[in-house]
Amino acid sequence: MGPVLSVDGLKAYYQTRFFGTLREVRAVDDITLEVRRDEIYGLAGESSSGKSTLIKTIARAIRPPLNVVAGSVRFDFGGQGAHDIYALPAAELAATRWRHLSYIMQGSMNVLNPVRRIRHSFVDFAYRHMALPMPAFLRRVEEHLAHLSLQPAVLDSYPHELSGGMRQRVTIALATVCRPEFIIADEPTTALDVVVQKGVLGMIRRLQREMGSSVLFVTHDMAVHANLTDRLGIMYAGRLVEEAPTRDLFRRPLHPYTAHLIRSLPRIGDDAPRHGLEGKPPSLAAPPPGCRFHPRCPLAMEVCRREVPAMRELAPGHRVACHAAEQGMLP
Amino acid sequence: MWKILRDLLRYNWEFTTGVVLLGIVAVIALLSFVSPYPPLDVYVVAPDMPPSMEHWLGTTSRGQDVFWQLSAAIRNTLAFGIVVAVLSRVIALTVGLFAGYAGGPVDRLLMSVNDTFIVVPIFPILVLFYFVMRDQMSWALLALVAACLGWAYDARLIRSVALSLKTREFTAQSAFCGMGAREIVTREHMPYVMPVVFTTTMNNMNWSIGLEVTLSVLGFTDVNTPTIGGMIYWANQHAALVSGIWWWIAAPVALVVIVFIALFLLAVSMNEYIDPRSRLARMGGG
Repeated sequence: MGPVLSVDGLKAYYQTRFFGTLREVRAVDDITLEVRRDEIYGLAGESSSGKSTLIKTIARAIRPPLNVVAGSVRFDFGGQGAHDIYALPAAELAATRWRHLSYIMQGSMNVLNPVRRIRHSFVDFAYRHMALPMPAFLRRVEEHLAHLSLQPAVLDSYPHELSGGMRQRVTIALATVCRPEFIIADEPTTALDVVVQKGVLGMIRRLQREMGSSVLFVTHDMAVHANLTDRLGIMYAGRLVEEAPTRDLFRRPLHPYTAHLIRSLPRIGDDAPRHGLEGKPPSLAAPPPGCRFHPRCPLAMEVCRREVPAMRELAPGHRVACHAAEQGMLP
Repeated sequence: MWKILRDLLRYNWEFTTGVVLLGIVAVIALLSFVSPYPPLDVYVVAPDMPPSMEHWLGTTSRGQDVFWQLSAAIRNTLAFGIVVAVLSRVIALTVGLFAGYAGGPVDRLLMSVNDTFIVVPIFPILVLFYFVMRDQMSWALLALVAACLGWAYDARLIRSVALSLKTREFTAQSAFCGMGAREIVTREHMPYVMPVVFTTTMNNMNWSIGLEVTLSVLGFTDVNTPTIGGMIYWANQHAALVSGIWWWIAAPVALVVIVFIALFLLAVSMNEYIDPRSRLARMGGG
């Protein structure tokens, strides 16, 4: 069976028109990637690198001014053939979401309605997608909660009565109760302290293994990626710059930006000072020509200012978009 | 719910006073069902009798017992307030929630209608209605017209809350899960605005009762339905104050003032329900 998700040449821009002048913010620019069955694909990058825009576009959870300009997003649930999510009719899209494609949203601490009991959130969000009568549905929900070590009593609580970690687990339970084939997780652990974070990450891992689903996991936290993901893509200024199995990427980064990201991680026993990267990410409304990283890149060459580097597979499963790496220079 | 009510009764004197006053008024209104005299019959008792053991609040110049007249009148007036409040709440919720959630052209269209209703002068319109409708101007029609004129402020208030709710994560999540606009608005947003609606309901009842009394006193309503305003109207027609029949006017005025105070206190104490922090502060918990 082919990959669950294939994104091909996807471009999604924020387009606004003021007095006839079109302004574009190229938040997602020409991204091609695949997510295989039964894997956790990580997406890393600093703030405003277009991570959230990319996954919103993948989930078709976009509204103007964000528009898809080119490319396709194709899902293949259960190997029945790939469908472009942007070509699906509304009814089919509604039936696909949550049942096959679920989404743990950013700020997922707040996806529970503060004035509704948890039980009602489950009924509102998940009941329609499961062909089960109400008592059987609620039994299933309770089993699922127990599986995530949550008491059935949380169903009768309001969100403010739960701790942050419990709320996060409830949110994950909500996103996984239908056993979807594909789960998009947008920084689900960012607001949690490390102890709770560890528990939640372990839970996501366990659920993914049991259900055999694929997870697209987005966070800027490289340590989380190192612990959780199977493959990792690095985004910079709206582009994918490097993609490899997580282990290879951490051992042998090929893109200078990735190398800096990894070098900035603290290591026990290593007390060398960490150096921040000079400069700041470019404006996506007027990105620099050529490679978007060249103004900050220590290896920048003449060609980097002129030509956009293409994604090339330089090692098995290891793709990188860098002129220097193509010439064998290591960051 | 019951716990909140209990706490409010115990720790919030405004709420307790309001409930007690409104309870007294409600009992008086309910007594009209066991009234010994039909409310529209005249000369059933000796006219112009001052308050006594036999006629607690005296009798009118038209030979009616003031107490039983008052009981029928407050029933109709309260019912008028409730009907107007409920009808206008339905309009305000529908317009406010949908305008806030839909945004764009729908919002602009609904809000331009809304703002029109805010700026039109209500009293002259009601008087105009009376002169156009004349004999068809029944109690129910007046309630309907008042409801159609009394929703606009609250629709704007509800819209402003809905605008904020629209950008919250749980709205995005609901939309992603396949809930339609109608479902999101009624199931996710409405519970959130209900406390605001409760408070404005009290204000709206006060407003509509005041409106009804004003129109009736001036004779711009169906004077044959006993209401508080209607009672004052008939008392004025018989020059009750000039001829010293003060109890005929004092009783309805006092009762409607009690209703106003009760509703006002309830509206104020609803703040405590909306904001649990001030409730805690009052209970000495924070």
